Amino acid sequence: MEYIYSVLILIGINIIMASSFNLIIGYGGLISIAHPIFFALAGYCSAIVSMKFGVPIPLAIVLGTLFSTVLSVALSLPSLRVSGDYLLIASIGFQLGFVEVIKNIEAAGAASGLTGIPALYSGPLRSPAFVVTILAVAALVVWLVHRMTHGDYGRAIQAMRDDEECFTSLGRNATAIKVAIFAVGSGVAGLAGALYAHYSQFLSPEQFGIIQSGLILTMVVVGGMGTTWGPVVGALLLTALPQAITFVNLPTAIMAPLQGMIYTGLVLLFLFVRPQGLMAKKVRQ
Amino acid sequence: MTASVTRRAWLRGIIAAAVATAFVGPAAAQQTLKFGLAMPLTGSQSSFGKDQIKATEWAVADINAKGGVAGKKLEVIVLDTQADPTIGINAVNRLINVDKVPVFVTAWSAVVKAVAPIANREKVLELSIGANAPEISKLGDYVYTAFPLADVDLTALATYTGKTLGHKRVAVLYANNDSGVEAAKVYRSVFEKAGGQIVAYETYDPKATDFTGMLLKVRTANPDFIHLHGLVADMPIVIAQMRQLGITQRVSTYAGGYNPQMIEKAGKGAEGLIVTSLAPDERQNPNVGPYIERWKKAENRIPNGLPYTQYLYDAAYLVAALYEHLEKNKLPATGENMRKALLAVRTFDLPMTGKLTINDDHTVRKPVNLLTVQNGQFVPLTTVD
Repeated sequence: MEYIYSVLILIGINIIMASSFNLIIGYGGLISIAHPIFFALAGYCSAIVSMKFGVPIPLAIVLGTLFSTVLSVALSLPSLRVSGDYLLIASIGFQLGFVEVIKNIEAAGAASGLTGIPALYSGPLRSPAFVVTILAVAALVVWLVHRMTHGDYGRAIQAMRDDEECFTSLGRNATAIKVAIFAVGSGVAGLAGALYAHYSQFLSPEQFGIIQSGLILTMVVVGGMGTTWGPVVGALLLTALPQAITFVNLPTAIMAPLQGMIYTGLVLLFLFVRPQGLMAKKVRQ
Repeated sequence: MTASVTRRAWLRGIIAAAVATAFVGPAAAQQTLKFGLAMPLTGSQSSFGKDQIKATEWAVADINAKGGVAGKKLEVIVLDTQADPTIGINAVNRLINVDKVPVFVTAWSAVVKAVAPIANREKVLELSIGANAPEISKLGDYVYTAFPLADVDLTALATYTGKTLGHKRVAVLYANNDSGVEAAKVYRSVFEKAGGQIVAYETYDPKATDFTGMLLKVRTANPDFIHLHGLVADMPIVIAQMRQLGITQRVSTYAGGYNPQMIEKAGKGAEGLIVTSLAPDERQNPNVGPYIERWKKAENRIPNGLPYTQYLYDAAYLVAALYEHLEKNKLPATGENMRKALLAVRTFDLPMTGKLTINDDHTVRKPVNLLTVQNGQFVPLTTVD
């Protein structure tokens, strides 16, 4: 049962990550790969304030989330004013740079990783409590993204994505919308990171590389970019599938390449068979 | 063609596949003595992980061929960690809760640390075999290492450099990762305590390809000797660039450098390189020669990180000894009993690495072999106890 809980928690975390990334890249059309670093920054911030300054864990999680949100504005404000490609380049720098920064901060455990982070819940009901919390947050995030991207504000976001010049000519402020959705998306990633830190009780800079960015992007693409349920299905599928494969008792000589090829294989398959992703209705022009 | 594949059809297919896989798994259940092995099967560390897994699987087959443990078959359940903490957590949760193993073996410091809270919480014995971060001995009641931590071989190496070779000024270069940072600290403190001086203490990004800046600093510091602590992927490049810049001092590194790839890639620059090995060689242990032959026969090569695979081969024998203790005393196979068995038996006689004693402070000590490169071959230098 404990195993099922841990998979559910990972699925929940990935749904939060994929949904918030979908808000940025799918709805907002902002190409950034720095999503995992906001997860990491909030996780580290929350862990450190609770460990070194004795801040209660729920408050630490809030502080971590805010920390990520503020830093996301620091990244997006200068780069979004220019245009899309600059954000991509700046986000790569941001991602790689902060991983290096974390690797050199002694208080954050440096390259060895931070051990002994206090858990949010303890006792026999620890795991179910985490499952409920994280899945509730995931549901809330999916709802929030759905609300933000439908209705008036949602139409504005999509208009900005599809034709920024036309959008600006109508007197709307494109930069304000971009910074807002980038901050919300990154803040949500931060919330996931802070929750994760107090669940796994260990963080290491190696967990937040470019590979993680690719993984979340794959979830969004496979599920369907710019749809409410796409990232949910993508996160579910790409988290559960590698786990399911381990239950087919294959010899390690077959298991190893199979595990390694799942992501690449799925992306290639979808590229040919269903480029719009699982949950999108028709191919976008 | 695209339009013919509908959303529903996709979802139906996925659900069918998920259900199918769920039923295939538990079919082959049988009364066996199980233990888990969580290692990188994929990812950047997989060349080491796969060879280590193979060694354990061979040992399990060998034990079973001789009748198993108290008439029962030993079974190893292998799961991929990619040497990544998050994936490691899932793998270990699965080993403990689905496969119900009372003991599991894992390696790579980040994974060992990440899964430690689970082992302690669920009261399942975690055996770290291969990771060497000094912190591993302090991870809790249920985490033990059967592999000497970094202080063992680096203490031997730093002492040998200072006392036997008589070097007083050493430069330390280390990769900015888990293993490098911790190891460099140990080396510095031992060498300085012995009266030596660290004249340069430089870190580098193991993914970089140019190390000129760092190496020029080293040249200016003019050390007698250089200690390098990185990965097999980067260390030969560092050494080759050192030689190009006219830095001719002798270099030492740890057990990770005891790999034929070091000589292949660094060429003549590797001459004189000192490496450590924490496992006995074929002269010190008669079982090692046939073991290497077995690799040559089965895989046509020497394994990646030979000493590590020796330890992982012995992992199965270590677990078998724990199970034997439980069977003899008619104790149920729980994690708590596994831990008690480990402390009750305490000293193990293992085929590839010899005698192993688990200390009260969760450490083990082993004699350290020093080897050096001569004419493109690793040759034994000395053994430090």
